Amino acid sequence: MASENQDMPDAGGPVQGLTDARARQEEERQDAILVDDEQKIHVLPGSTDTSASFEFLHEDHTLGNALRYIITKNPVVELCAYSIPHPSEPKMHLRIQTFADMEDNNVYDVLRKGLMDLQDLCDVVTENFTTARDKFVQENGST
Amino acid sequence: MDYDIPMDGEDTGPTVTIREASPAAVDFILRHVDLAFANSLRRVIMSEIPTMAIDLVEVKKNTSVLADEFICHRLGLIPLNSKSVDDVLYTRDCDCDQYCENCSVTLSLYARCTSDGVMRVFARDLVPQDPRANEWVGVPVIKDDNPDGALILKLTKGQEVEMKCIAKKGIAKEHAKWAPTAAVGFEYDPWNKLKHLDYWYEESAKDEWPVSRNGEWEDQPQEGEGVALDGQPGPFYVNVETVGGLEPDVIVQQGIKVLQQKLAGVIQELAGGDNQAETNGDGFGPRSPEGPSGGYDQGGYTTPFDQRGGASAWGGGGMTPYGATPYGQNGGNW
Ligand SMILES: [Zn+2]
Repeated sequence: MASENQDMPDAGGPVQGLTDARARQEEERQDAILVDDEQKIHVLPGSTDTSASFEFLHEDHTLGNALRYIITKNPVVELCAYSIPHPSEPKMHLRIQTFADMEDNNVYDVLRKGLMDLQDLCDVVTENFTTARDKFVQENGST
Repeated sequence: MDYDIPMDGEDTGPTVTIREASPAAVDFILRHVDLAFANSLRRVIMSEIPTMAIDLVEVKKNTSVLADEFICHRLGLIPLNSKSVDDVLYTRDCDCDQYCENCSVTLSLYARCTSDGVMRVFARDLVPQDPRANEWVGVPVIKDDNPDGALILKLTKGQEVEMKCIAKKGIAKEHAKWAPTAAVGFEYDPWNKLKHLDYWYEESAKDEWPVSRNGEWEDQPQEGEGVALDGQPGPFYVNVETVGGLEPDVIVQQGIKVLQQKLAGVIQELAGGDNQAETNGDGFGPRSPEGPSGGYDQGGYTTPFDQRGGASAWGGGGMTPYGATPYGQNGGNW
């Protein structure tokens, strides 16, 4: 029964052989994670400075929805929406359109601002969480 | 391009109230954030926080009744301590071919039953080998009083197992064995005032769907009260229970950090695109590894668009240890 380098079988489906399992594992790994030197964002054809669609590789609702929310808050933004065109492709699309007659309406600029605002929001939540945790520990003794 | 982001409800910004904290779980209420953000935090905690788990097994001897693959699968699911897992590299980022001390922890398992009766082999029988990235990483989690850890298999007289287990760093998006939590409790609007849920029921939705204990934190809706059509979801009742490898509060902080790393990665690539905007029609041409922008080790880059001062719509107050992203930028200074 002894063998070497037995791969971890996934739930469901028999493991056919080492090479099969290894290849499939590698495929799943590449679906979930960005491979080295792979470009993460592309601009889809037909985009202008005030309306563009971006394609994010290996991103999903985790980034898509939060980004959509924060970008929509920007007053120069006329429309912001995201979609995942096909469930078996690791791609997320984000559309941004800004008002043509407003200042600072460059979509790349708006996208960057959205990303940075989300980072700041994360900072505030971490800070508040840490404070609340310390306060709780102080009041209730260390847990 | 500064503007005040209208806060949801009050202008206090996001707040956190801890209801319960123990070595196994944190229970907190997250207020004044949007559903989109709260859900991103939940998703990132469940599937993208790096932990350690056994990934490769060399089966040297197995005369137990269980098949090799079966035992290997069980080994993978054993929680391992993942404190300061940042000290461990991902194998794909490592110089080695398969594994080495920088990107893995080796645990050896040897058990042989020589007596009558049944011998039980536990997680405590997994022996981490030195050298390791740090003293915590890869050690089996043992929380029971005995202390044994998880039961792996049973042997009778004359049976023997000998295995070399290679634990690696990974995330649950790739395989659930790397999940830091068993589940994340997440609820909002316990009274269903917003009617985001349409309860299935036999006779009475009210009798068949008891309100959770989170309902005590909100006013009960009046009889005949209409639906607030412009009502926003929140507050969010979150409960994070650890599998044992990371402390629950660390899981929450790591979750936010992972989210920030995601954002930093995209910002970085956007900056890379700017430099090539003129040469490439779409503004995002392929970037060579040592690209013209100086790539990832460039500290505070400036772009033609970067005209903002230090002011941020969120107040930029966050000078936490996690405020500094791994890409050298500090979120609070944007
Ligand atoms: Zn290595």
